[in-house]
Amino acid sequence: MAERGRRKRRSAELRALRIASDRAEAEMIRRHLEMTPEQRLDFLRVKLPGGGSAL
Amino acid sequence: MNAHPYLRAVARALAKERLEAVMIGNAAAALQGAPVTTQDVDFFVRDTPRNRAKIKAIADDLGARAWQPYYPASKMLQLQSDTLPMPVEFVFVAHGIRSFEGLRSRAVEMTFDDGDWSVLVASLPDIIKSKRSAGRPKDQAVLPVLEATLAQKEKMRG
Repeated sequence: MAERGRRKRRSAELRALRIASDRAEAEMIRRHLEMTPEQRLDFLRVKLPGGGSAL
Repeated sequence: MNAHPYLRAVARALAKERLEAVMIGNAAAALQGAPVTTQDVDFFVRDTPRNRAKIKAIADDLGARAWQPYYPASKMLQLQSDTLPMPVEFVFVAHGIRSFEGLRSRAVEMTFDDGDWSVLVASLPDIIKSKRSAGRPKDQAVLPVLEATLAQKEKMRG
């Protein structure tokens, strides 16, 4: 019984997380689409000497 | 990092040498409004001896060297220089792109700095098609956000 309750709660938490993540992505896309072409030029990620990359 | 000074230099060299090139890949997707980043800038060009000569001239203009990675297998020329923080690639063949003319007809000319310079940018559906066709993990990874951007653009267009 307690196990079923935990699973249900976990499933609800994951669903809420997915909805929040989708909303955040949609908001980020909306912000980008409202940018001017000049503002959209911040896309370069440069390689770092020790490996990896940074904006 | 902001690509403005570097892309402006490349765009001016393209204009000077009259090379017709359409920007593709993640840089093009970013200019189309997708929240993505990239380490290089790719242009699709017709594979002609004249265009190859123009690319060499552009390399000279930018103080870069043009070379063909994985020669002779690759169908591209890459520009590399200490003054460019990113490689600039001119590709002659790309997944999902059948012809330069088709890509060019659907591309948009994006202008910057009040019309001071411009680049031809592939349409988002063409970028998505190319990435889907390439099918590499890094292309697959970016597809959901590109598709979501396209959906949002169409929604905003009404």
